[in-house]
Amino acid sequence: MSTRLRDIAVRHLRSLGATSAEGAVRRLTMDIEVEGRVEMVTLGLRDDELQCVSSDGRSDGAHVMAALKFIAGRERRDDSSPPNTVTSSAGQSREQVPPNELADALDDLLTAVTRVGVDKAQYAPSVDAALERVIRVAPQPTPSGLGRFIGRLQQEIRSGEHRRVARILDGAARLAEALRVNEPTPDSEQRLEAWLGTRAGSLAKAELLYDRTMIEIGREWLSGTERASVERRYLIDIRSGSIYREDRPRNATASLGPCPRQLRVGLAEVEAGPTPQRIRVLQYEVQPDVPQGSWDRVEQVASRNFAKVTDGYRQSVRAHPSLSEPFALIAPYRIECNGIFKAFDADGRQLLLNRSERRGAVLAFYDLLAEGAQPSWVAGRLTDTGATVCLSPFALGTRDRAYTRL
Amino acid sequence: MDTLELCLREGIASNDFADPREELGCAADADDREVARALVRLVAASDLEQIGTQSISPEAAQHPSVRPPTAVAADPSFLGRLSASGTDGLSVECIEDLPTILAVLRAGSWRQRRAALERLRERLRDRRLLHNDAVRKAIQTITELRDVELGQELAQARAELPGAQGRQARHEHDQWKRLAQRVESAIQVFWDGQSNVEPIQRLPGDQRALLLMRVSELPDVVAHHISAIIEGNDGWVPFDSRIGLISSLRYATDPRLVPALISVVEAERGELVARAARVLGGIDDARIHPALAERFERSFVNEERVALAGALGMHGDCRGLGEVRGSLEETQPQLLLQSLEAMESLGSSENTDLVVRFLGHSDAAIAIQAARTAARIGDGRALDELTEMHDSTPVPALRAAIEDALSAIAARMELRGEEAVTIDWSEVGNKPALRKGARDSLPIIVFGWRDYFMGRMWLLLGRTTWANARFESAAARRNDWAVPLIGIGMAFARREQYALALPAFRRAIEVDRPRIERNPILVRAMAKSFLHRAEQVEREGREDVARGLVGEVLTLDLRRAPGTVRFELKRKHDVLRREEHDDVHSAA
Repeated sequence: MSTRLRDIAVRHLRSLGATSAEGAVRRLTMDIEVEGRVEMVTLGLRDDELQCVSSDGRSDGAHVMAALKFIAGRERRDDSSPPNTVTSSAGQSREQVPPNELADALDDLLTAVTRVGVDKAQYAPSVDAALERVIRVAPQPTPSGLGRFIGRLQQEIRSGEHRRVARILDGAARLAEALRVNEPTPDSEQRLEAWLGTRAGSLAKAELLYDRTMIEIGREWLSGTERASVERRYLIDIRSGSIYREDRPRNATASLGPCPRQLRVGLAEVEAGPTPQRIRVLQYEVQPDVPQGSWDRVEQVASRNFAKVTDGYRQSVRAHPSLSEPFALIAPYRIECNGIFKAFDADGRQLLLNRSERRGAVLAFYDLLAEGAQPSWVAGRLTDTGATVCLSPFALGTRDRAYTRL
Repeated sequence: MDTLELCLREGIASNDFADPREELGCAADADDREVARALVRLVAASDLEQIGTQSISPEAAQHPSVRPPTAVAADPSFLGRLSASGTDGLSVECIEDLPTILAVLRAGSWRQRRAALERLRERLRDRRLLHNDAVRKAIQTITELRDVELGQELAQARAELPGAQGRQARHEHDQWKRLAQRVESAIQVFWDGQSNVEPIQRLPGDQRALLLMRVSELPDVVAHHISAIIEGNDGWVPFDSRIGLISSLRYATDPRLVPALISVVEAERGELVARAARVLGGIDDARIHPALAERFERSFVNEERVALAGALGMHGDCRGLGEVRGSLEETQPQLLLQSLEAMESLGSSENTDLVVRFLGHSDAAIAIQAARTAARIGDGRALDELTEMHDSTPVPALRAAIEDALSAIAARMELRGEEAVTIDWSEVGNKPALRKGARDSLPIIVFGWRDYFMGRMWLLLGRTTWANARFESAAARRNDWAVPLIGIGMAFARREQYALALPAFRRAIEVDRPRIERNPILVRAMAKSFLHRAEQVEREGREDVARGLVGEVLTLDLRRAPGTVRFELKRKHDVLRREEHDDVHSAA
């Protein structure tokens, strides 16, 4: 559901709910007809949050959307705006769009960083103030996507990687645009959901998964608005080879168990969004010892074509420049290790290790190679350094040992 | 694009090199917001175009080997340069001379001692050497070593010895295997959801210590289960028990636990970080040093910083020495024990004076730790203070720690080529207590023994009450006769009636402490009775009583008690001390 529509509906209901001599409106009920079907839609505020539901039990259906659009249209007319401007979003200037605090705060952050420059942004009070404003005006608690954006931005500013800072800020600019969109598109809805989380009435649908076997092959703590605010686990579906991420915010629960583990997933929800897609495991069984057969499957589903890995990485970063943190499972055709580890595919394309992140893991990886380990598969987060796609290693399998966590 | 990137790095507000508006094709009066958006979009688009088009330079991708920085000059002596592994240069693996290996075993760092023990094992595998005098001495040393830190390595070495010692060690290993199998099945049941009781937590303390002592021999499923608890992903174990488990792993060297422990160091705070750092300090793994160093640089909690400094010191990085020294100089009461412990790995002879100052501390735990730290520093200047304290202290545990320290310092001096010091054990050793009063008459002695044997007989027949009555009668007949009291204590301890065993042991200790301390069977039963009773009262919520019991038994010389029991007692003491400090803080 569009944030803008929701904001308008909330504002309208608040104004109607203000107690006056004529009474106050607590709930609005409308009969809405869409495609020949009439449903009753109820809108109300509970604890200052919008509750909307139609008589078919849906909170995000076409009837609810139509009701919200009706409210939005009414409010514009109440504001004495020309009625025909409600539906025309194209060509609308920023001044005509109702103010969206989060979008403005993101714009200010972008401006603050570019004004002062990436080299000096780490200690710039204006950047700190802009970041604080973004956190303040964002929904509380800070959604994980937005939190991760802040964590990544701070990290890249500290490392002085101005190109990556530009990429992350470009993503924020796209979010600001999506927040200001009048008519939500699936793309803008998906972007909003990736940043701000699932909201009631959202158009974006979560895919449901049933009866899958997944193996967790790596996990890490990532920074958000604070250091180490999200624990991310990387799960691989050993039937399809799809990789998912399960994010566990600090002090919250997610699926239980060690890493590695095998999960027999009865039911899970997968969000559309940056890769790896976020999964919520709803029904599962844990097996802390992963059978050898499952490790064999991991090797079988590992990617053997590095060109595809690079293309996938590029597409993912292009779609979600701020939030995309792709994870890959590769099975090298051959490796070279003459001072530098290089993994090659059958076509001779190479993939290197990223040594700027997870330094300890890289050192341990080299130690294993020095001991004569021959990786049959390597799993890791994809990054790029100097326009080269690299892998930050998380785990590997060898002939002697099915799994080593780094 | 280069100009635009320069604008982005230097900032669009005060860029003297280029005009971003002109470069971006914006109007001269375009506001900063518009310029910023355009700049970021163009730079990002250009960056995205380049992904995957370049190959990284070989220099940038080379093996990122690191050498830990050190704040103090490395010890240039033989022991200082002796590495624990590797066949090049000065390494324990290259030492052939048995007396030198034995000296390293007494005086070296934890890593050096582990390596020395491994080297000794290798030498002893050659059965042809068994009749050699030096090898016999080595066997005797292995048999007598009671180092908790080397628990697993010692158990493995003893299992390979010939004779009764070897048989006993192999029997203990079989017991451990059975325990491990039991726990493994219980873990399967736990994760299958058939039980909501975490199996390691349910074990008595000494059994848990025994299981975790050989953690590297445990199957993967148990190691993964332990990792889940360390990371707090088991869904059951409460916070305090999680801390308890991590401290039980204090001397574990299993690299399988490293990712989980690093995750704690990276993501948690306070006590958890400190405990995890101490475990990581003892494990040889490339992943550890970067994680510890990174956390040390950003941590501002004193408790964490001291523990991290000590752990870094164990990896040869002395960046935290100044901080640990500072906390000792300021005598911060809550950090004293930890700082002294960290000094074990960080300290050099420059710090000897600072450390020996704490030998006379009123808290026995701190004084004992000071003796241990002095032993690891190994400076001969500490010998006089140690000997003096040995003669004046009434605390048997402190005397035992000082005896070990004197022996370690002497060995260290020998390895450094300094003047060999011969400790006069007749001066510093346990002196036999003088008998007070008149000797018992012969009939009293006879009746006393008669009652004692009657008591033993009733015990054999399972009549505990009657047996205890006989033992009491025997004890009443003779002055300062501990044997019947020990009989009562042992009888109750075997029946796991620890609350009843404690008074008997206490009376026996009062009458004849050395008899108990020198007998491995008695000291084991006594220490276990105190430990299990402390666990019982702790479960009842009476933590002050538990703290008192553990503190009481730790003042005794427990060197002959099993390492696992000593380890668990010390661990419990640390945990209960922490809770005591927390209580004081919350009360304040």
